[in-house]
Amino acid sequence: MDTAIKTEKLVKHFGKGDTLVEVINDATFEIKKGELVALIAPSGAGKTTLLMMIGCVLTPTSGKIWLGNELVYDNKWLTKEQRKIRREKIGFIFQAHYLIPFLNVLENVILIPELNGVGEAKAKEKALELLDYFGIKDKADSMPANLSGGQNQRVAIARALANNPEIILADEPTAALDSKRSVDVVKMLKKIALEQNTAVIMVTHDEAMVPLCDRVLTIKDKKVYNLAIDEYKNRAIV
Amino acid sequence: MINLAYKDIKHSLGKFVATSMGVGMLLGIVLIMIGVYRGMVIDAQVLIDDINPDLWIVQEDTLGPFAQSSRVHTDLRDTLKVLDGIDKTAALTFEGFQIDVNGKAVKVYAVGYDPLGEMSAINPKRLIKGRAILKEHYEVVATDKIGLKLNETIRLGRDEYRVVGITHGTVSSGGDPLIYLSLKDAQKLQFLYSNFRVRNDRLRGIKSRANDLVNCVVAKAKKGFNLEVLAKEIAKYRHKSVYTQEQERIILTKNLIKMASKQIGMFTVILIVVSTIIIGLIIYTMTLEKIKEISIMKLLGVPNSSIIKMIVQETLVMGILAFFFGLLFSHLIYDKFPKRVVLQNHDAAALFAIVVAASLIASLIGIKRVISANPAEAIGG
Repeated sequence: MDTAIKTEKLVKHFGKGDTLVEVINDATFEIKKGELVALIAPSGAGKTTLLMMIGCVLTPTSGKIWLGNELVYDNKWLTKEQRKIRREKIGFIFQAHYLIPFLNVLENVILIPELNGVGEAKAKEKALELLDYFGIKDKADSMPANLSGGQNQRVAIARALANNPEIILADEPTAALDSKRSVDVVKMLKKIALEQNTAVIMVTHDEAMVPLCDRVLTIKDKKVYNLAIDEYKNRAIV
Repeated sequence: MINLAYKDIKHSLGKFVATSMGVGMLLGIVLIMIGVYRGMVIDAQVLIDDINPDLWIVQEDTLGPFAQSSRVHTDLRDTLKVLDGIDKTAALTFEGFQIDVNGKAVKVYAVGYDPLGEMSAINPKRLIKGRAILKEHYEVVATDKIGLKLNETIRLGRDEYRVVGITHGTVSSGGDPLIYLSLKDAQKLQFLYSNFRVRNDRLRGIKSRANDLVNCVVAKAKKGFNLEVLAKEIAKYRHKSVYTQEQERIILTKNLIKMASKQIGMFTVILIVVSTIIIGLIIYTMTLEKIKEISIMKLLGVPNSSIIKMIVQETLVMGILAFFFGLLFSHLIYDKFPKRVVLQNHDAAALFAIVVAASLIASLIGIKRVISANPAEAIGG
């Protein structure tokens, strides 16, 4: 399998001098395309910080990041347009759906593809395909405020997939869902990872989701470990 | 491509329109203020345009009769006629006073002219009812705004006067409604002392010849005569100050209402600044309300240019909508003002340009917030 995300000696500090806080001191790992990886760590361990660095939102203190075959960070961003990288390579899913409230379902899904230069007709066709896949095609013209939480979350996932991303970063997508729906969403992410050959990193606190994933990223003492499911279960390293 | 501004406005249309209406009322007041100024300029010229002489002859070294007190002898009207270039003359009085109309005190400005003379102070086009003064005593013509009716009688000084005509749109340079009197009545009202005062003056050795006075004499020149030369000649040999119609217009419009226009100008500038600040604050608040969505958009990869375009377009639409609400508002209320308010298209066009510029400036505040919005806030909670 091809590499989707690779990091090398990734470090993130906040502040300086007496107020310096080390959050991540060594993150060296590799995630392949088609993998669903759970990112599990206690609160405050640096999960979101790690996710934001991979997502080109937060600038690391040092280290290297590859997205696909492209080295995007080598002690500095190698492109001025991190936002373009996000738009073209990454799909985001959040705990809350965070749909744009003044756009209807279809417009929320086609917003990023259109900005990437995909024609309106093609973007709509793909969006409707995705909405159909998630069983909410009939809601294409509805406003997010008129949908249920579960429907909105499915729209958010469709939006994350609309730009054919190489990577999906999901920040606690199941936190607001009951256990049955949580399992459904994780299974859906697994299916997407396989069918679209996409790497999915999913932040979660729910240990029950771990068996559904391919690997586990965890953070202990500011160091990031990339573990197989069995290794994580046995707590061999952590 | 999705137009974010259009979608956002459509989503919160009621709030957007209501806000625009609020700002529009403020802009409407700006238009009214400009209209008040225009009205003042027009009012200042009504009287001199209606009389429409070539020359204004007033007391020496004064700017009379409107900007400064002026008294000249009535017979100047006749002696001027001997000059080669003078065609017609008229003696005029001007006096502001208060009259009682149906129990209400009304401030008016009285114009005295000789109804049998060569030049009338009343523009026939402005006469909407009745007739001009035909008798030398006890007749008045009044502006409709005073509220007098035809044939009604009013008391001026010691006498009763009958309203024989009603004019429309006739006001003094200060905006007070006009009444017209015969010269003799006007002189009596302005210059005639009481019997006691006359007796008192006689005992002091003062001979009262007050009835021989007027506030100015106006003249029409014969065709082909140079007005400047005529004015200089009158000033030199008659020891008077002489102004051409244009000079008198400047005294009224540029000098007499200068302070008032500056005052209104200041108010207008302040209102425009306040409107800009309000639009800026509204846009800032609207941007703040959307900051979560903006952070999400930035996180998803929506470029700043698309978000800034949304803010600028919304600000411009609000500014333009507010302008048209303001225009409508000003046209609905302008005739309710006691003094003349003149709404002119070129003023509205200038305000439109200012509103567009102000909206663009105001949008900078929102843009600054957009640029500083951290996409990490979206997932940082």
